[in-house]
Amino acid sequence: MNAVQTFKLVKEFDGLVAVNGIDLEIKQGELFSLLGPNGAGKTTAIRMLCCLLKPTKGTASILGYDIAKEPFKVKELIGVSPQETVLSERLNCWENLALIGKVHGLSSKEVKGRSKELLETMGLTERSQDQVRKFSGGMKRRLSIAMALVSDPQVLFLDEPTLGLDPQARRAVWEYIAELKGKKTILLTTHYMEEADFLSDRIGIIDEGRVVALGTSQELKTNRLEMRSMVVSTRNITAEVIADLQSKYSRVEEVNGELKISHKDLDFKEIVDYLHSRGVTVYSAALEQPTLEDVFIQITGKKLRD
Amino acid sequence: MKSWEIGKRNLKEIYRNPVLLGFLLGMPVAFMLVFCSAMGGAQANPISLSIVDEDRSQTSSAFISCLGSIEAIELNEPIYSEKSQAQEDLEDGRISFYLFIPSGFEEARQAQQTVNLELTYKAADPMIGLQVKPIIEAVGSEFLGVAPPLIVELKGTESKIKNEVVNFFAPGIAVYGLMILVSTAAEIIADDREKGFLARMFTTPARPWDFILGYSLPFIPVLIISTLIYLGVGMALGLTIVGNLGHAILIFFLIGLCSIGTGMIVGSLVKSGSQAGVSWLFIVPMAMISGAWFSVEGMPSAMKSIAGALPFIHAIDASRAVINGSPFSAIIFDLYWLVGWAVVLFAVGIVLFRRTMVS
Repeated sequence: MNAVQTFKLVKEFDGLVAVNGIDLEIKQGELFSLLGPNGAGKTTAIRMLCCLLKPTKGTASILGYDIAKEPFKVKELIGVSPQETVLSERLNCWENLALIGKVHGLSSKEVKGRSKELLETMGLTERSQDQVRKFSGGMKRRLSIAMALVSDPQVLFLDEPTLGLDPQARRAVWEYIAELKGKKTILLTTHYMEEADFLSDRIGIIDEGRVVALGTSQELKTNRLEMRSMVVSTRNITAEVIADLQSKYSRVEEVNGELKISHKDLDFKEIVDYLHSRGVTVYSAALEQPTLEDVFIQITGKKLRD
Repeated sequence: MKSWEIGKRNLKEIYRNPVLLGFLLGMPVAFMLVFCSAMGGAQANPISLSIVDEDRSQTSSAFISCLGSIEAIELNEPIYSEKSQAQEDLEDGRISFYLFIPSGFEEARQAQQTVNLELTYKAADPMIGLQVKPIIEAVGSEFLGVAPPLIVELKGTESKIKNEVVNFFAPGIAVYGLMILVSTAAEIIADDREKGFLARMFTTPARPWDFILGYSLPFIPVLIISTLIYLGVGMALGLTIVGNLGHAILIFFLIGLCSIGTGMIVGSLVKSGSQAGVSWLFIVPMAMISGAWFSVEGMPSAMKSIAGALPFIHAIDASRAVINGSPFSAIIFDLYWLVGWAVVLFAVGIVLFRRTMVS
């Protein structure tokens, strides 16, 4: 049985289609990322799966329970860390964790045990008695994830878990999420391609409410990328040579003597030889590693942060 | 119980927020201190009265002595003989107002004719004239031997109330204080919605009733503590509970419920905690037309009708009545009105609050 399954899931707001027929199958124990720019429909999709929004059309289930027909069964199985770091600001860490744990039906003893463990893991033990309004953004984010985990959920939804964090805090959150891999089914949304690349078993690229590509990071880079790119550092290159290259290859960009050439079936040696034959000095030349950003640009024609 | 956990959290958010508590408890207490002190408070001062005696007769002297014997009045010395002198002192700010006894006062009394007295005060301070006029009219009527309408009041029946000013203001301001719960409840609900805390809680297995109870029950202890503080401050200022204190507390409890229900409605309709401030547009005018700070006897009948349809004026009137000694039977109509409003406001509040849970 899949942990998360959606079938042609649609959400419209006053005629505006936010999610447009998403089909997903996420296996138990899998870490699946929905990668897409702001406004792509990631959060709306998660909010439907968490039973906060009713789908306009389509269905979805969490561990076999229909989100529309059995929302309270679904809510018993999930943990959610929302995009906004929403905590009870005048409560301390223990009280925030106890609130969520007890609402999930845990006993005081269970809550205490789970909270202690999570606070240690998240590095919050020392500040556990302080009201959380005094915390930094990173600490709040870690507590938010701990709150999502306190009920020991089978399915964890992490909506932009590192949004607004500095690189160090982001790395710490990544490491903790990586530790959960295989133990929980995790659906993570992000618009950071490095995050999706680093953490995910599989990635769904979402744009304008649709999943436009699906696969592992490697699959997406190798299968979906039709073009390869190389960067050549040159001296004395002329406009005539650049124009000649542009007529032969799909994309040629030149900035201060540095050429970036993209083309299907790119021949590294052929380009270097051609440049030498035209009297251009080549300092260095290298094939560029494809990124998820390249995949996204190729599929949607726009950048992730547009 | 899930609702208990949600309620406990909300109670902590209230009592750990000094700004919120300051508004909720501090403002009504400050109002009580200011109003009761400004309007007489625990030690009511007599009003200083200046007199111009143009008549200079035995009768006018006797009338002046009569005025001087009233506890509420302190006669300024000397008694003017010329109106122009008093007018000059009034304009220079040395006196606040003066009473002019014209020549012919004695003859008019003997002939049992109408006597015209003039009370002159600065146009910028009309309240003092309005305050003193009925006293002088009553003393004058008694002195002149005409059956005065206010003679009972002047004679001062034996009252158990130590300080009528405090007994007037304290219940009204206590109800006003409980009206602030509208803003408090609205702000907490709207703030939790705006910041996404409610949405987070809606992803837990808590049921709608857990939220409804969790967002209304914490205000009950706040309501009880507020009531006790208001009554305590009132008593410290000289409030006398002549009637049944339990009946007064029942009225305060019911108006508190009405306020919490209204707060749930406002909190469910507005989009943010700051927008919940819109409830003050309701609280302050309602407190005014319901007589929290002054008597509404002279208010236009249209305004009286609006106030009468709402619960607050009933709470103020009924609490004043029972505190001043009226029996339970005298406030039954007000109680029905309050119970009815509490039920309606809570029901609407619950319906609107539930609507916010799923989009």
